[in-house]
Amino acid sequence: MKTELSPRAQALAYLTLCVLLIPFVFPTWWMVTSSVKPVSQIFAFPPDIWPRAFDFSSYSDVFKIQPFALQYWNSAYIAGIVTVGTMIVASMAGYAFARIKFPFANAIFMVVLVGLLIPSEVTLVPLFQLFLKWGMINTHWPLILVPIFGAPAVFATFIMRQFFISLPVELEEAARVDGLGRFKIFWTIALPLARPALAAVAIFTFLGSWNLYLEPIVFISSADKFTLPQALTQFTDAYGGPMWNIQLAAATMTAVPVLVVFIVAQKQFVEGLAHTGLKG
Amino acid sequence: MALALDTSQARRKRGFWTMARRDAATGYLFITPQLIGIIIFVLIPLGLVFWYSLHEWNVLAGSFRFTGAANYEKLLSDPALGEVMTVTAVFSAGLALLNMSLALGLALLLNQKLAFMTVFRTLFFSPVVVSLVAWTIVWSFLLQSNGGINGLLQMIGVEGPNWLRNPTTAMISVIVVQALKNVGLNMILFLAALQGVPRELFEAARVDGVPRFKQFYRITLPMISPTILLASIVTIVGALQVFAQIMILTQGGPGFSTTVLVYYLYQQAFQFYLFGYGSTLSIVLLVIVGALTFIQWQLRRKFVFYEN
Amino acid sequence: MAPVTLKSVKKSYGVSDVVHGIDIDIADGEFVVLVGPSGCGKSTLLRMIAGLETITGGEISIGGRVVNELEPKDRDIAMVFQNYALYPHMTVARNMAFSLEHRGGSKAEIAERVSWAADILGLKPLLERFPRQLSGGQRQRVAMGRAIVRNPQVFLFDEPLSNLDAKLRVVMRGEIKGLHQRLGVTTVYVTHDQVEAMTMADKIVVMNAGRVEQFGAPLDLYDRPANPFVAGFIGSPAMNFIEGQLTPEGFAARGVMLPVPPGPATGDALYGIRPEHFELVSDGLPATVLLVEPMGSETQVTMTIGEHQVIGVFRERLRAQPGATIHVAPQLNAVHLFDAASGKRLN
Repeated sequence: MKTELSPRAQALAYLTLCVLLIPFVFPTWWMVTSSVKPVSQIFAFPPDIWPRAFDFSSYSDVFKIQPFALQYWNSAYIAGIVTVGTMIVASMAGYAFARIKFPFANAIFMVVLVGLLIPSEVTLVPLFQLFLKWGMINTHWPLILVPIFGAPAVFATFIMRQFFISLPVELEEAARVDGLGRFKIFWTIALPLARPALAAVAIFTFLGSWNLYLEPIVFISSADKFTLPQALTQFTDAYGGPMWNIQLAAATMTAVPVLVVFIVAQKQFVEGLAHTGLKG
Repeated sequence: MALALDTSQARRKRGFWTMARRDAATGYLFITPQLIGIIIFVLIPLGLVFWYSLHEWNVLAGSFRFTGAANYEKLLSDPALGEVMTVTAVFSAGLALLNMSLALGLALLLNQKLAFMTVFRTLFFSPVVVSLVAWTIVWSFLLQSNGGINGLLQMIGVEGPNWLRNPTTAMISVIVVQALKNVGLNMILFLAALQGVPRELFEAARVDGVPRFKQFYRITLPMISPTILLASIVTIVGALQVFAQIMILTQGGPGFSTTVLVYYLYQQAFQFYLFGYGSTLSIVLLVIVGALTFIQWQLRRKFVFYEN
Repeated sequence: MAPVTLKSVKKSYGVSDVVHGIDIDIADGEFVVLVGPSGCGKSTLLRMIAGLETITGGEISIGGRVVNELEPKDRDIAMVFQNYALYPHMTVARNMAFSLEHRGGSKAEIAERVSWAADILGLKPLLERFPRQLSGGQRQRVAMGRAIVRNPQVFLFDEPLSNLDAKLRVVMRGEIKGLHQRLGVTTVYVTHDQVEAMTMADKIVVMNAGRVEQFGAPLDLYDRPANPFVAGFIGSPAMNFIEGQLTPEGFAARGVMLPVPPGPATGDALYGIRPEHFELVSDGLPATVLLVEPMGSETQVTMTIGEHQVIGVFRERLRAQPGATIHVAPQLNAVHLFDAASGKRLN
């Protein structure tokens, strides 16, 4: 539907876009600005779009109330391991399903695909029981093992498989004639060419782990082991009421780094996700 | 004769490990981590959850005994379940509808040949990458009775409700907050689909004198229908799994007015520690998602006009 | 450099056979072209020689060594693919060096081989570029460079020119031929284009439906095709075929009696004559003109003789209108006669 619009239609389009944009960007703006307002002013009327006074004390309070630095590290290292682990597991399995002929390949692929169809919430009770048996409750193991090896990785495998299927098979045949075995073909030809798919897998795996909420609150109970989403909800005063400015400061610190990375690399983000989404 | 002998010797020397067999072994090696993971973290738990659902299992009381279909009978007589299912249906349908129409509308707007479209695209997409809990916390803050939303409403002379304390507005709130968070994903999908429609089709339609709105119904919509179908199923299944937003914004309240199935499951299993009944609710969720997936396959055959 | 021998080579996928027992002897240094319509099994055969497809039955040997169970890399062959299969993430130099790197050999040696190959193919200025920065013809040359650096015993080409435009195809045809004359390496070349086959090959294998229809030198195939398939496949425009009976008076077709060379017996037969083997002679057979296509150097005429529609190509500039009658005669020494039932050549 790409056709030239009349100036009036253009103005209308821009106006619509700008109005629609408000609920998408205002919350983030409000989160950042409110976190640097003095406590007394965060509920001020009329609302201050730009803070009248700045008070950064909530940012230091975040670290006093909870071991926030440690929690930040927990989230970061878990997401890091999960991302790298998923890339390894999914690229290997995706490659094998796309390219290598072995007996029962299709049947096994169907079994693996079950992981795509089962919502993770369904298996939460038995997983809790299993991890309890293995003494892994209140450790980070469930948050690492399940995403890498369980259902969430299947989507990644699927994306990698689709990508490898689209890779010209002659490249690998040329490599075979050139004297490479399977491992080397995978490592020196297929994987380097799969960079766009790997990037997409890395992005959504990282976001998935970074945002994980239900699993942490089920599996983890002590503050020094909390991940960020879990920690964010814990900034409450003695009566259980939220300490808004501190919570917002913590939320800002959680959200803004990812947001900045996104804006810098938005092309890869958006196109990578569109690409994988279409194929999925 | 001599040559035939040669061949068989060459074969014997290589023995069992022919080219094809070595390759197959590599294949198995490559899929092993995933396969074992699926068995341990998906298939076994799936069997267990069904097994558990046949038991009365109260973790706090330490009781675990086989009761057959008792949990399923309890399910049918659970006074809360009717409301939970209604809430789940309203929430999922409302969310999918809002998400899809907003995404399609935005995609159509962003597909126009105008300046700054990339900037708009980035901004509409940005909530997707904002931490889910952070996003929800800000909205919780905005939706307080003395929060930002009501502040803005008051400036134009409207007295806003206490959004999260009223059943209707609470439901609207959780739907809108969740839709805004993820609409960017579907928007990008639709945008890619729109850009994949061959321009010649529209040029041909213009030459044939087909009016614009008809071009939309007769060309655009059919051409992107596979994407719409895929996105709607993914969105509905995603809606069935929404948990954090409910937990943080309303905790299922007021009353049961925003208690969706997943939240109810969490409550029963991990707040009341009724693992048996929680497992039964898991089976219910599984059946619903399975049914939706099945419907998707059927619809795909019937209603998708075009697929590459 | 080595001879390649195929002995009753078979390929089947499950129950369906795609290659039915093929025997070909390729001499050391020969340039052999496998040609045939798509799906005839020519690519499968080439890929079996390369080791990219397993061999269901029979035996392939390269340089006297049975290679059935050998990996492609152990067969000492090099292959040029239809879409070139250049590694997109490596420079031209790296693409050419890649196979050598995996076979051991010092850095200096590899660099020397690459530079030698780049010299031959005129790739010197392109060595640091990536495949995406090259034109179609340049990519083609890099693919060939990658094959020759290894100095293999056999070159295999799988429709290497089909992605190029017509003009470039002619240029590259000459280059491949020149390369073969210079290096003298045994070459097996697959194409569906009979012009490529005719111009490049020492010998042509015409394949159809998994079988060899004929194996021989290009002009032999043109002059004495063994059966109607080869006769129709080689040559452009294709040979005219006319059904009828051989009689002592000549060839009795519908509505016309065609002259035949002396010799063969009587019975149902197929009469083949190439368009270029008609002559305009005043005492010839009357033919009704349907369509005249002047090409400049020659004139192509679609016409009916008796009730049969045939094509003739003449050096003369013919200015006949459709419906006009001209007089043509087939050159007797260029008439091909085939048995109607078996398709066997009769003369």
